[in-house]
Amino acid sequence: MNSLVSYNWLKHYVDLKGITPEEFARKMSLCGPAVEKIVPRDELLQNVVVGKLLDVGPHPNADKLRVCMVDVGEKAPTQIVCGGSNLEVGQFVALAKVGARVKWHGEGEPVTLEAAKLRGVESFGMICGANEIGLAEAFPHEEKEIVDLGKELGATVALKPGMPIADLLDLAGDVVMDIEVTGNRVDAMGMIGMAREASAILNRKMLWKPAKKLPKPSTVDRKPLAIKIHDKELCHRYMGVRVAGLKNGPSPWWLKQRLISAGLNPISLLVDITNYVLLEYAQPMHVFDVARLRVKGKSPELHARRAKAGESMVALDGKSYDLDEKTLVIADAEGPVAVAGIMGGEHSGAYEDTTDVIFECASFDQVSVRRTSRRLNLYSDSQLRFEKGLSAEGIPFAMAQAIELACELGGGTVVAVEDVYPTKPKARTFSVSTKEVEARMGVKVPAATQKKTLQNLGFKVTSSGSMLKATTPWWREYDIEDGVDLIEEIARIYGYGNIPAILPVGELPPRPTDTEVVLEDRVKEIAKGAGLTECYSYSFVSKALFEKSLHSPDRAFKVLNPLTEEFVIMRTTIAPSLLQVVADNQERFREQSLFEVANAYLVQQGYHELPNESLELACAYFGEGDLFKKAKGFMEHLLEELGVPGISWKRVSEQGFWHSGRTIQVFKGDILLATIGEVAPNVLVNFKIDGRVAMVHGYLEEIFRVAGHGASYTPPSAFPESRRDLAVVVDTRTEYAKMEHVIVGIDSLIASVEWFDTYQGKGLPEGKKSVAMHITFASDARTLTTEEVDTLMEKIQKTLKTSFGAEMR
Amino acid sequence: MGIMLDQLESLRLSLLKAVSDAASMGELEEIETKFLGRKGELTAILRQLGTIPVEERKVVGSRANEVKMEGEAAIADRRQVFATSAHAEIADTDWADVTEPGVRPPKGHLHPVSQAIREITKIFDHVGFSRVRHPEVDWDWFAFESLNMPKEHPARDEWETFFVDAPETKQGRMVLTPHTSNSQVRELLLGELPIRMINIAKCYRRQIDVTHVPVFHQFEGLYVDKDVSITHLRGVLDYFAKSYFGPDRVTRLRPHHFRFTEPSFEIDVSCGVCGGTGLLNGAKCRTCKRGWLELGGAGMVHPNVLKAGGVDPKVYSGFAFGWGIERTASMKSGTKLDDIRILYKNDIRFLEQF
Repeated sequence: MNSLVSYNWLKHYVDLKGITPEEFARKMSLCGPAVEKIVPRDELLQNVVVGKLLDVGPHPNADKLRVCMVDVGEKAPTQIVCGGSNLEVGQFVALAKVGARVKWHGEGEPVTLEAAKLRGVESFGMICGANEIGLAEAFPHEEKEIVDLGKELGATVALKPGMPIADLLDLAGDVVMDIEVTGNRVDAMGMIGMAREASAILNRKMLWKPAKKLPKPSTVDRKPLAIKIHDKELCHRYMGVRVAGLKNGPSPWWLKQRLISAGLNPISLLVDITNYVLLEYAQPMHVFDVARLRVKGKSPELHARRAKAGESMVALDGKSYDLDEKTLVIADAEGPVAVAGIMGGEHSGAYEDTTDVIFECASFDQVSVRRTSRRLNLYSDSQLRFEKGLSAEGIPFAMAQAIELACELGGGTVVAVEDVYPTKPKARTFSVSTKEVEARMGVKVPAATQKKTLQNLGFKVTSSGSMLKATTPWWREYDIEDGVDLIEEIARIYGYGNIPAILPVGELPPRPTDTEVVLEDRVKEIAKGAGLTECYSYSFVSKALFEKSLHSPDRAFKVLNPLTEEFVIMRTTIAPSLLQVVADNQERFREQSLFEVANAYLVQQGYHELPNESLELACAYFGEGDLFKKAKGFMEHLLEELGVPGISWKRVSEQGFWHSGRTIQVFKGDILLATIGEVAPNVLVNFKIDGRVAMVHGYLEEIFRVAGHGASYTPPSAFPESRRDLAVVVDTRTEYAKMEHVIVGIDSLIASVEWFDTYQGKGLPEGKKSVAMHITFASDARTLTTEEVDTLMEKIQKTLKTSFGAEMR
Repeated sequence: MGIMLDQLESLRLSLLKAVSDAASMGELEEIETKFLGRKGELTAILRQLGTIPVEERKVVGSRANEVKMEGEAAIADRRQVFATSAHAEIADTDWADVTEPGVRPPKGHLHPVSQAIREITKIFDHVGFSRVRHPEVDWDWFAFESLNMPKEHPARDEWETFFVDAPETKQGRMVLTPHTSNSQVRELLLGELPIRMINIAKCYRRQIDVTHVPVFHQFEGLYVDKDVSITHLRGVLDYFAKSYFGPDRVTRLRPHHFRFTEPSFEIDVSCGVCGGTGLLNGAKCRTCKRGWLELGGAGMVHPNVLKAGGVDPKVYSGFAFGWGIERTASMKSGTKLDDIRILYKNDIRFLEQF
């Protein structure tokens, strides 16, 4: 939560003499609320002064311009050419002199004014519109209208030509700070709370004095008011004060400018007062017009109750809201007049003719406010504070301030005071030992300093031995809940910057780095090295994605409250997401080599168990060439790099995601390590992919389980090996792996068989292919003779002929 | 003796002349064989040594040796000349256009998130933090309840956190972890103390806009030992910032609020663009807030969390820290991502830049 704080205003509550805003920002940020920005309020008001229009004459060369003579408190009047639509003789205006920096028409970067000739007439400055000098919020106006200071400020302010506008408006030297207040410190969202923080952190005196106690209405003045809390869980306290004989209208400038400094727009005195108290105390208030409440009998009545089914209300934002029994409302004799703690009703609010009102100052359950606000999608400054947790103890202070202002500025009289407070909470007390404070901070802090720090923050502290017992001030009722919270209070005021940074020494932990983590990184490096580009996709996918890739979305965890239908299924395979990436990029990239490493979330025994988060690898090859071989080659390379020997391959011909004629699986024993294949043409059609795609879908957990066990040393043979090439013509459907298997089994002197080419086409009969391979012969015991190798070659040829009908080439 | 010395001198002169007249490396080799070879002229002269008196042999022998060395040196020099000129020739005869680009191995790319994960893992590994794994889909108890977050905490609302359609168990509802902090109690429960842990995992939150993605990565650091204080947290974070961002960077802690740590901090790192001054060429630095960049959250582990993990807070204390990988990565590269969603769009034009 961020809060806008006028520094000059804050100075009314805490002694900040001699502390610059910069210094304030630096110190506060290290011990409490962080000041994120400092914006001067008078930046656009330098060289802008009060001017009085002495004459407004026509411009000789332009119909829409006027030539004005303006008294700026100097001997001679200043001549200004101006296009303002509301110029009148006798008017007090904001005059930007030559040298002032203003924003033309309220837009862009400020520009410096120079003396100029406008359509042939000299002009020495500018009569400003409010938006040109940063006062649009203060004095809202039509395009082309200039600020009429007399009209805007009324009789309350004496206007004198030549007076700097910044002084006139009390903005000179002021800055607004944008301060981040953490969610647990809603008290510091108010000026008084912020002042308390400043007082403790900067060790300065609080200047704030609470308003006078609420006056008791005399018997003559007394008027009826009935308040009832129907749900004590949701409404902890409800205070209503009825004030009659008021005159609503615009607020005085000082009040307006404070609201503006905090980013609020002035509306009318009565509304402004509630907003002012909100800014001062962080306590939301509301005001009801008694004349607009529906009354049965003599007394206006307000009920804090749950809405009834079917009730609805038009709120101050002009929208109608359907309410239900979960919603706490404030109701008059007939129905809801406010969604409690969030927004008042349009009908019962304060308007210009309002004279008799009830000010509401109450405490509502934070969770109920939050949930109602989300349910209705209705947000407000009030809701924002209530949902963070506000103490009911602050209510009388806030109310007293509001009533004082209403009586002083609006001329009203208090005619009824009702305060319903079913259960007053007890202030809580926590203890902490001063030794523990030092141990956590890692520095020595005298017990007396610790105690004083807590006292400065408003705690009542007693000490016995090394124990401190601190009673929480009411404005910290919600955020202090443990003795350890006191450590934080002492440590932050001591200053985190004063605590040295020391790298810990000591025993190293027994737990090693997860090997899966190490190998995962290795896989990524191998993939990158092999020319693949890494992708990251969301873990949840749409049902549609699974369906179009012919995967069943049934046995998968589903998100109960997904953001959209795109993010429903916790993916049980990461392959479809990567195929989608291929599809999304195919227009721009006709060649793609992609991979992703991520968890799939598999259902184990059932949905009552956490998913098995199974690390998977997916690769996709799209483009020219033998894609399947690229994919398979990558997998072979990966398994070799990771040290997985003794694998076996098995063709898969199921119908589904994979191409039933171009897919294979690799195993270690019975364990499936990966599927490699082309994607089925019908799946490619579903994905609107134009071209072939080969993919790898690897089960990394299984691969990691068998990785790195293959490295063993065999001394190189002392005897030379012999190598022969062999080319055989077989049926195209004869699988190479089977031939290799048969050859290796013929004799132990056959050390290896290595495929190097397959040829089909010209020179070969239809349905035949020629497969060429290197065959290596070796013995650990002797050098093989040529005759031996020849004999073995003959044996191989013979066997291939009988087993596969192979012809030699 | 005189004759032999004359013979040597005449051999010397003809050898040197032949060497200087030689036109190729081949001729030079012939000359070497002819004069200095095993069956060459010098050998022939020396064969006559037996015919002269013993005392004279020494003089002739030593002279023969001098002649041999001179001849060898002359041949070597001449050889060098040929080698150099041959070299000069290949520049012409064996010319290639070396300005053409090379044949590169295929170029792959690691996603910026992977790169950041790798770097962060390594930095913490140096100070003894082991990277471990904990669930990304977990029970409410680990994600919230054991972290001192009350039932009514906003993070536990369905507006903030993703829930899984699964039956509720003793450990509550099944959630997509909104932070990596579920690993804290899981790690504590293993009971292997002291703990220095880093857990990097996917996290899930119900937000998607230019600064939020519903799936992102966080890292969680947990340190638990006896007598752990804020000084140690500062030490580790400072070390991290300097290792990751550069030795001239400093960190500061500001008060913050998290349910599972007390005290809680926001960690700022000094801005690398303006050098932590907040000003750049007299104007406000646009990269940072008054000289500082927000890095992430940290704090001293709340006693209630230690208790939930079966660790006695009277004996042990610790600190935890954690924040988004994506954020950290974009802070480092200095390439401010205008829209963080680009990290998960998988546009190859983006991915190829890393």
